Amino acid sequence: MSALLEVRDLSVRFNVGDAELNAVRSLSFDVSEGECLGVVGESGAGKSQAFLAALGLLADNARARGSVRYRGREILNAPRRELDALRGRRMAMVFQDPLSGLTPTARIGHQLEESARRHLGMNARQARGKALEMLETVRLPDPRRCLALYPFELSGGMRQRVMIALGMICEPDLLIADEPTTALDVTIQAQILRLLGELQRDANTSIVLITHDLSVAAAFSDRIMILYNGRLVESGTTHEVFRSPKHPYTAGLLASLPSLTIDPASDLPTIPGQPPDAMKSVQGCAFAERCKHAMDRCWSERPVLAAPGAQHAAACHLLSA
Amino acid sequence: MTTPLLSIESLCVDYEQRRAGVFGSRTQTLRAVNGVSFELSEGETLGVVGETGCGKTSLGKAILQLLPLAAGRVVWRGMDLARADAKMLTGLRSELQIVFQDPLSSLNPRMPVGEIVAEPLRVHAAGMSARERQLAVSGMFERVGLRPEMTARYPNEFSSGQCQRISIARAMITRPKLLICDEPVSALDVSIQAQICNLLRELQRETGVAILFISHDLSVLRYMSHRVMVLYLGRLMEIAPRDVLFENPRHPYSRALIDAIPEPAPNANPLDRADPLPGEIPTALDPPSGCVFRTRCPIATPECAQTSPQTENVSESHHVACHHWRC
Repeated sequence: MSALLEVRDLSVRFNVGDAELNAVRSLSFDVSEGECLGVVGESGAGKSQAFLAALGLLADNARARGSVRYRGREILNAPRRELDALRGRRMAMVFQDPLSGLTPTARIGHQLEESARRHLGMNARQARGKALEMLETVRLPDPRRCLALYPFELSGGMRQRVMIALGMICEPDLLIADEPTTALDVTIQAQILRLLGELQRDANTSIVLITHDLSVAAAFSDRIMILYNGRLVESGTTHEVFRSPKHPYTAGLLASLPSLTIDPASDLPTIPGQPPDAMKSVQGCAFAERCKHAMDRCWSERPVLAAPGAQHAAACHLLSA
Repeated sequence: MTTPLLSIESLCVDYEQRRAGVFGSRTQTLRAVNGVSFELSEGETLGVVGETGCGKTSLGKAILQLLPLAAGRVVWRGMDLARADAKMLTGLRSELQIVFQDPLSSLNPRMPVGEIVAEPLRVHAAGMSARERQLAVSGMFERVGLRPEMTARYPNEFSSGQCQRISIARAMITRPKLLICDEPVSALDVSIQAQICNLLRELQRETGVAILFISHDLSVLRYMSHRVMVLYLGRLMEIAPRDVLFENPRHPYSRALIDAIPEPAPNANPLDRADPLPGEIPTALDPPSGCVFRTRCPIATPECAQTSPQTENVSESHHVACHHWRC
């Protein structure tokens, strides 16, 4: 598999008053062609900002540094015209809240057709046909009627299907889904995850699933990346990471999930403390203050990701101790 | 048998919805909770699960008399709460407390958190001196895992996990007998969820408080509850002891909810899983005839469209409302 997206040493900083907030700290990873990559982290881990930076969608007070290559071509901080040719066409994003991702005052059909006309150069009739075809693909009930509806007339699950149709209409190489099921009920979540899985299988689209929910990532991705405080702390095949987590943070997260296989009579192990403040910079390992294995070295020296690109790697001094 | 702490009998909650039209507005009635009955004992946690619009939040609010009942009774320690006058109800509120989902918006942003936690004592323990209150608040802060010197700070200075600890401290300071927790961990980070769940379990072990734990997350619910009640579109589908419900659910909706939980295990490809439940939750303004679940039910028959299933006993502690539970 060749790399579709190569991210190297990516940093994202926000200016907040006179202070600086480091959302992403020298992050490096690849997204391969046709893979499902799960990106997991708690709030403030930098998981969304890393991908917004890659697509050039950062807020005005943010700056991105490093390198993001799409099929070998540098796209980080690229001019808008260049990005416009890629966004929507080659790379698309689906957001958590489908209501804010859709234009409230335009009919569903119009929004889909606009994308088909702009990116695929279709005429009005072709675009209408394509829009209908996409609504059928995402299995929206009564697709013909939906074309004429406004986003507020649909339920949350149906809106998320429309968002996915909008993301997939140009058959992009890469679909970034940012918490696509977080706002949905569990039975609807199961429907949407299955739909994404089918689209990935049928169109060979690479899918990046950004989520705070390890279970959703496990249920969906081939490979998984765990972020903490803007850095990659563990990455590997989903199988390996869940079978034998290497980083104490990953292990702690997995142990603290009340899964259906635990004994509810005994107390869940927890990770003490809370996620770190992105405003502060840490000299050593950002997880040290919550880690039961922390050693002297962890406070002074930042662990690096051992063997990046390997099947399974983690950034922790325990692994080299 | 001893009298249960809380007994809910055929509870119904209605919302009036006014819809503007060309020929004047008309009012439609939405029945959010429809004929739900259950009991809750001291020291017990009853989990309430269901999806959007199943009535789980309305149920919690109706028990606390924060919403009017359309029908049915809420019996608290043998007393019908509808008969309690305003003064009695105020007194009872020290025994009945609630913790909400959004920790920050349920705390007054202009009040130091120590005052927020002390406020129930001002109302319910008016005889307490300022010094005694302060001691009680410090003790409560320590109990929920916050430093007592934090009492002078304001809610915005705390993380969402800490805010939820403050909400729990406020609820528990009057030593309530019933705590209603409405999605208390849904807004929290994964690593914080387990901390708050454990805190609630510890408090229950120490004080014997009964908990009505409302959640859409069945995994969390399984960890927290002794018994589980499944609601759909305002109606009770199934209620059973935890292990019975998870291992041997009788209602197809309970089964579908359990099947829809993504397990944190590798190779759980969504395409290999059981088919997800089709369709969407119908609107409560116009619920399906007969069994409300029949439009999404894999085993529905014509009978399901005609008659609404009665709640039947699978065993003394296991009740289910389905025509086909024996299948």
